[in-house]
Amino acid sequence: MTEPASHKVSKPPDKPADEPAAAPVPVEEMELVRRARRGDLEAYDELVRRYQERVYATVYHMTANHEDANDLAQEAFIKAFQALKSFKGGSSFYTWVYRIAVNKTINFLKQRKNKAQMSLDDLDFNAEHDPDLVALISDKTPRREVGLAELQEKLNAAMQKLSESHRLVVTLHDVQGLSHEEIGKIMDCNIGTVRSRLFYARQQMQAYLSDYLK
Amino acid sequence: MNQENENFEQLRRLLALKRHEQPPPGYFNNFSKQVIARIEAGEKGEEGAFFERLLWEAPWLQRIWAAFEAKPILAGGFGVAVCGFLVTGVLFSDKPDTSSVGLMPTPTMETAPMALADVSAADHPLLAKPVMLEPSSTSPIDTAQTSDSFLGEIGKLRAQPASFSFPGVH
Repeated sequence: MTEPASHKVSKPPDKPADEPAAAPVPVEEMELVRRARRGDLEAYDELVRRYQERVYATVYHMTANHEDANDLAQEAFIKAFQALKSFKGGSSFYTWVYRIAVNKTINFLKQRKNKAQMSLDDLDFNAEHDPDLVALISDKTPRREVGLAELQEKLNAAMQKLSESHRLVVTLHDVQGLSHEEIGKIMDCNIGTVRSRLFYARQQMQAYLSDYLK
Repeated sequence: MNQENENFEQLRRLLALKRHEQPPPGYFNNFSKQVIARIEAGEKGEEGAFFERLLWEAPWLQRIWAAFEAKPILAGGFGVAVCGFLVTGVLFSDKPDTSSVGLMPTPTMETAPMALADVSAADHPLLAKPVMLEPSSTSPIDTAQTSDSFLGEIGKLRAQPASFSFPGVH
């Protein structure tokens, strides 16, 4: 855990793509899946490395706890490997493993109810220079660093007040930048449900964070 | 939809802060190795994963399990219901046995043992033709079969007093 960072976390798109994601499943990915299904752990290692950041991030934003996110993300990949035989290839491996991670996380959160304890990841260096964030905090506090940390905590606390399904929609759309269609596939619901959940969740968030949204 | 997006523009900017939250440096360097190591370790103890796989392959079972975990009162209720069924089953399964035993005529010393044996043997599904069972005076066991079940008779063997008669002794 203390090695130098050689793997830069890919930043999700700044604006969520509202149009349907029509990205075809890469042939190479299917080949990796086939090999992994036959027990080739090197192929599966490659699949894990492709999606580990996005899966971890989703689970982390849902739990607001690094240790829990670490366990759940690992377990999701382990479960996906064990269930590879049941993967029919109807969706991309990415959507499928996402669904496993999301189900696992929601089950975990239901058990954890009322015992939530935040263990937040540090903000990266770029956060201090993000013009949108600077604009948001500049009138709240003259000390930018303190303002960001406070904002981070309030934001996470507000997200934890949402129900699991509403938090998931906000995480996938507004934080991770997934399209409504992709979210529908992951959550196994239609786009209308995704939209209405997103609207309701944003309303709730806006109410919780009214002091920071002028 | 655009109007809706404009209303939440500030919130979306604020939520963008979460994209800057990053795990400790180098965290992802080891992530896949840990996953693979856990998979390899799990393959050695494959049996333990059976239940988890069962839950995964039967989503309805997973939902029930999740409901039980989320609401222990449901699990308690289910447990009570299962116990109730078991107790009811035991009580009702005992009743027919006792009634059949009660209804079955108990052969006495006065009944003709040969006739009784003849009738029961003829009725028995495993014995197509009548078998004449002659009770031996030295055998304390009455082997007459009086019910339809062959194996059921094992528990119904009755003891009879043995009578020994020696020539010249009364």
